[in-house]
Amino acid sequence: MRVWFAALVAAPLCAAPALEFNRDVRPILSDKCFACHGPDAAAKGIPLRLDQEAAAKSAARGRPAILPGDPENSELIRRIMHPRRGLRMPPPHSGVALTAAEIETLRVWIAQGAPWQKHWSFLPPRRPEPPQVNQAGWVRNPIDAFVLARLERENLAPSPEAPRETLLRRVSLDLTGLPPTLAELDAFLRDQSPEAYAHAVDRLLASPHFGERMAARWLDAARYADTNGYQFDGERSMWRWRDWVIDAFNRNQPFDQFTLEQIAGDLLPGATLEQRIATGFNRNHRANTEDGIIPEEYAVEYVVDRVETTSTVFLGLTLGCARCHNHKYDPFTQQEFYRLFAYFNNVPEHGRAMKYGNSPPLVAAPTREQQEARETLARRMQKIERELAAEAEALARAQRAWESSLAAAPAQFWSPAIGLDAALPLDAPGAEQAEGSLSFVPGRLGQAARFDGASLLAVPGAAQFDIDDRFTLSLWLYPEASPHGALVTRMSDRPEGKGFGLYARQGRLHFHLTSNYVNDALRVDTQPVLQPNRWHHVAVTYTGSKMAEGVALYLDGRRVDFQVEMETLYRPFRNAGARFAEPLRLAGGGGKENRFRGLLDEVRVYARVLPEEELKALALGMPVHQLAAKPAARRTEIENRVLRWQFLATAAPAPIRQAWQEWQTLREQADQLERTFPTVMVMAERPQPRDTFFLMRGQYHTPGEKVTPGVPEIFPPLPPGAPNNRLGFARWLVAPDNPLLARVAVNRYWQMLFGVGLVKTAEDFGSQGEWPSHPDLLDWLATEYMRTGWDTKALLKTMVTSATYRQASQAAPELVQRDPENRLLARGPRFRLPAEMVRDQALRAAGILTPRLGGPSVKPYQPDGLWKDLIMQDMEYVQSTGSDLYRRSLYTFWKRTVAPPMLVNFDAANREACVVRENRTNTPLQALNLMNDVTFVEAARLIAQRMLREAGPAPADRLRYGFRLVLSRSPSAAELEALGGSLAFHRDHFAGRPEEARRYVRQGDSRPDPALPLPDLAAYTAVASLVLNLDEAVTKE
Amino acid sequence: MHPLAENQLLRTRRSFLRAATGGAGLAALTSLLAGQAQAEGTTAALPHFPPKARRVIYLFQHGGPSQLDLFDYKPALARLRGVDLPASVRMGQRLTGMTAFQSSFPTAPSIFQFAQHGRSGQWLSELLPHTAKVADELCILKSLHTEAINHDPAVTFFQTGFQLAGRPSIGSWIAYGLGSENQDLPAFVVLVSQGVGGSQALADRQWGSGFLPTRYQGVKFRSGADPVLFLSNPDGYSAGARRRFLDDLARLNELKFRQTPDPEIQTRIAQYEMAFRMQTSVPELTDLAKEPDATFELYGPDSRKPGTYAANCILARRLAERGVRFIQLFHRGWDQHGNLPKEIRGQCQQTDQPSAALITDLRQRGLLDETLVVWGGEFGRTVYSQGTLTETNYGRDHHPRCFAMWLAGGGIKAGISYGETDDFSYNIVDKPMDVHDLHATILHCLGVDHTRLTFKFQGRHYRLTDVHGKVVREILS
Repeated sequence: MRVWFAALVAAPLCAAPALEFNRDVRPILSDKCFACHGPDAAAKGIPLRLDQEAAAKSAARGRPAILPGDPENSELIRRIMHPRRGLRMPPPHSGVALTAAEIETLRVWIAQGAPWQKHWSFLPPRRPEPPQVNQAGWVRNPIDAFVLARLERENLAPSPEAPRETLLRRVSLDLTGLPPTLAELDAFLRDQSPEAYAHAVDRLLASPHFGERMAARWLDAARYADTNGYQFDGERSMWRWRDWVIDAFNRNQPFDQFTLEQIAGDLLPGATLEQRIATGFNRNHRANTEDGIIPEEYAVEYVVDRVETTSTVFLGLTLGCARCHNHKYDPFTQQEFYRLFAYFNNVPEHGRAMKYGNSPPLVAAPTREQQEARETLARRMQKIERELAAEAEALARAQRAWESSLAAAPAQFWSPAIGLDAALPLDAPGAEQAEGSLSFVPGRLGQAARFDGASLLAVPGAAQFDIDDRFTLSLWLYPEASPHGALVTRMSDRPEGKGFGLYARQGRLHFHLTSNYVNDALRVDTQPVLQPNRWHHVAVTYTGSKMAEGVALYLDGRRVDFQVEMETLYRPFRNAGARFAEPLRLAGGGGKENRFRGLLDEVRVYARVLPEEELKALALGMPVHQLAAKPAARRTEIENRVLRWQFLATAAPAPIRQAWQEWQTLREQADQLERTFPTVMVMAERPQPRDTFFLMRGQYHTPGEKVTPGVPEIFPPLPPGAPNNRLGFARWLVAPDNPLLARVAVNRYWQMLFGVGLVKTAEDFGSQGEWPSHPDLLDWLATEYMRTGWDTKALLKTMVTSATYRQASQAAPELVQRDPENRLLARGPRFRLPAEMVRDQALRAAGILTPRLGGPSVKPYQPDGLWKDLIMQDMEYVQSTGSDLYRRSLYTFWKRTVAPPMLVNFDAANREACVVRENRTNTPLQALNLMNDVTFVEAARLIAQRMLREAGPAPADRLRYGFRLVLSRSPSAAELEALGGSLAFHRDHFAGRPEEARRYVRQGDSRPDPALPLPDLAAYTAVASLVLNLDEAVTKE
Repeated sequence: MHPLAENQLLRTRRSFLRAATGGAGLAALTSLLAGQAQAEGTTAALPHFPPKARRVIYLFQHGGPSQLDLFDYKPALARLRGVDLPASVRMGQRLTGMTAFQSSFPTAPSIFQFAQHGRSGQWLSELLPHTAKVADELCILKSLHTEAINHDPAVTFFQTGFQLAGRPSIGSWIAYGLGSENQDLPAFVVLVSQGVGGSQALADRQWGSGFLPTRYQGVKFRSGADPVLFLSNPDGYSAGARRRFLDDLARLNELKFRQTPDPEIQTRIAQYEMAFRMQTSVPELTDLAKEPDATFELYGPDSRKPGTYAANCILARRLAERGVRFIQLFHRGWDQHGNLPKEIRGQCQQTDQPSAALITDLRQRGLLDETLVVWGGEFGRTVYSQGTLTETNYGRDHHPRCFAMWLAGGGIKAGISYGETDDFSYNIVDKPMDVHDLHATILHCLGVDHTRLTFKFQGRHYRLTDVHGKVVREILS
């Protein structure tokens, strides 16, 4: 800013018109003085504050720092100009110094009476009138009036409108992230109507690719990734949230609602699944799964991340600075940081995250297709139920006849067949491997196996479940001593070993899944419920949830309560590629000290969660003929049900048996389908609110006093009636009197289109942020956004149809020199494409881009072994195939510790933490990437094929065609000549080297067109690669 | 950067480019490669004072090497084998989630013999016979301590001065501050040993540039055909064709520049030329075929195998010779929670000879005086055994409260040790040195005042040392 003032206003300061505090003075005080004499001064024992007018001008401590109108008697001036180095401010150890121009600004400002202003961005935006301008004919909408007024002040003229091809490429990239197709380009060039451009903009805004383009930047801000980060960096699944974002942009959800749902959609009355998915925004942060961590430490980091991200994205504030001390520059206390922290500190979460997959709280988030499939299954089940109901009377008659025939038939037992993994009747020695001595004696159902406290049976290959699988174990036991020992397990045969098992433990029923006994296990225990010398039926079901809530224990057909000894599993048995080959064991597992003494009978293992009624039925343990013998009126409900099931399964008429079989199959299919539903980590509230404490020095283990949730003092309070929780906070964010939300949002759109925001520091609207280049324009856009009901598409349309946006980007060297960053907007934007567009454009030009929206992330080409170089053994980069190789880069799997190299080379945001400012560099690694990465070499060959097949026989036409595919314009004569020269060279080159040509055109998974002559194809491939490498190709003009 | 300052820089680039002929733009690159901090003009010119070292080779021993079994000799422990660590020593300090629930904390003295070496009489364990031979070159730091207790935050802390990812790595800060001395190579190069110690994950961000421009990030050289990603031309596309390609590309970009005088276009032309030179200079650099047998004998048998720590040590010397500013090796596998005696022996077999050879080699070539070599991990290990202690076996958990590293070369006093720990190597009793102090001292050796190497981001003037760090002058030569 100061540079602007000096260079662009170019007037001596003393003769300058009145200085404006916020524009001219605050930045100096903030950057050079506030670190000590700012909001945190008191904590450092410094009495003087220069961020508050009253304090700065107070004479209470002697000479005032600032004496309005009298610089010579202002202590501030005296000290910044002090001849003695030791007394001069800022002191040498501060690392900052004032320039002569800055000192002069401060002097002039005090001489002018030292007028003060509240920091500009904390004042509500007011809607300015578009200013009067001389060249009124240039103005297409109010944006242009603001821009032109400034240009006229600077004695600059706007640039002419960009050529139509350039403009269409620019706006297509800006609104959809893709260049126009040739058909779109030609249609636009043919359309000579005055509305042609507006129509093109409407078409682009309506394109589903609009949502993808907008989402790309939102994912950067939301630190979206497909892995957890930190050391292990295992996979997570947040793509349903990503797809929600794309969809929200495509349906033009008002930005206030978009904000509200992401912050607190779960707390909205009657929250829909989509609104809950939206809250994934604040679960996208990294999560630590490491073994030795102290969970409380990371639980704090997650909440801090939410506060920092939320305040950067929606408020443009660096509130994270107030975590350890009062903010050094902006009026936020550390206390206020923790009051905001409290809004996000009530999530039922754990500091240690799941090593694989999502960590709670989460929701199952079926896609639309999956929801439809589930409904289809439900409809088919209902149809069968109706059919059976229609036959009810006939069936009842048939069943009664069957029941009375049972007495004469051999004994039958009912048991469910679907999902059966192992059935061990234990009537006689079988395929099981016995260890120690055991015998077979009369049991509960037929014979039973009798274990002597040292013996066991092993069943290799059964129950191969891991911690994310669902299963059921069911059996009969008869303890011959105090009920103790392993009943059925699949775990290493030593105490505290890895695996799972159902135990009797001093009469208690005990179930565990253990990855590491000390810190990675799920263990639950009932009260003493088992008695010696009698039969019990016991069962356990586990949903694969990795949490104790996924366990249910049954005793004699009834659910029994349990205590949770350890709550959560993090690492699977297969962790780090480990083999986990333990057999299923009866009466053993967990070491010799844990053998069971007594009888076991009818052990059944299911690869599904049996519903309670089926477990009740199994616990009946009575042959069906005995049930049938009971008078119907004296049968229990479950007894009647078992008879009905057995009848439907074995004795009903064939069509009915089939229908029943189908119904059961459908139920299992529905269950399996639900298990394929992606989940999303979401925000949720704990039923018992968690207390939040001020953390001294920001450290988790040094809590201070308790704090209540609240918003910083400097801002308006929560809206009337808003609850003081996350929802109230969200309503406060989107309230019309929040001075920041709209400004921060429109500034990011501006940055997206023009390369630099009106406030260059898109992440910081505070005191250390930059003064806007066009303050009135920023406020006009902000008020316009709110006035139109936060209509994002309308706002973007206003921006891209402005004359300002439509200017040509080429400029005279004098203008480039005077305004290198184009802050004055005397020309159109010209800057390198964002990383994802560099790749997407090449795929589009090659005609191979997969247009499909959404879905799980994909793994396009990546150099071999990149993951293997750095990470643990059990996560491999398995390259996608077919059309998934050519999805838009937005869908590329983002592994935080080894991010996609091409995107990283082109300055993609790192997805570790929130990034809202776009970053652009120009490096040799980018050159190597564009020249040699198979992605671009294959794309070049596909472009070459299009040149050869679609552009006629003349080389000039072919070259023109390929050039247009990428750059949306025709080459000049000089360019065509250069291209022609390159083509001739390469044709000669490859004509003499057919083997090289053959290898060169075989890059990538797609096959070269065999109908095309090899030297031609290779030569055109090289030329297409040349075009893809042009500065213009990776630049938006 | 201030717009005008940037413009100034760009104009400088352009005039260089105009002066250059034949599209080489070499001179332009010189300015491109200069540290941006220098160009920024907001901090005083760099280096701030005459440097003792021109570059750094940082041998990062990832996982946390056991100071008790390598450097920190504790003879008094022998009598205390198996005795529970006294509470007066532990002082209720936090432990990791891996041993916090252990029922006892039996003291595990090192089973390895220690002896004094060289004129300096430095104590070293028998695991380091080669390091022992260069003991007089080393400054052994015994009183390092850190705040982090787990790998990722601890490595991140060493690499960036902060436990959470997001800040620039030390190599990036130095590249930003001092730029490169070689036009054909990046200022900051990373080499990761392959094929060993694969149980610990690393992350690219450990050499990332954080909020500094990405051009300052470390470039990881890989073993194999493409030491730098995408370095090789596509199969079937020759270097000769590439030369012609780049000439055509420059011509077309020049045409564009004539019409649109955007300095970025000229920069891009120059970067393509640098890419082309890297295609020659990097394979030449990484090809060890021309090294004499004596080199491989010095660095040990592993050094003939690409990707090993030993081979990477040779590469480090070659990078140093070529003026690369910050060279960082990562070697994993020091995380010995169990079976420490066996595992650390293997670990030392891989690293001892090459590390010592590097010192010897640099000295022989007259490079040691101007190269600062750093050896160390992210934390130390506990004196008490993790898991069961036997006569021959024990494990050790992470220990951030004290650990050892060594420095050698430019700017550092040779043949000394610094700092002291208690009889259990559990607490520091003399001259504690934290990670910020180490960073401040490394920067000092390079002629950089750590309080004046800053970058403004999100309104704050960030430093590698945050608001901490003091130069440890006692170890400076």
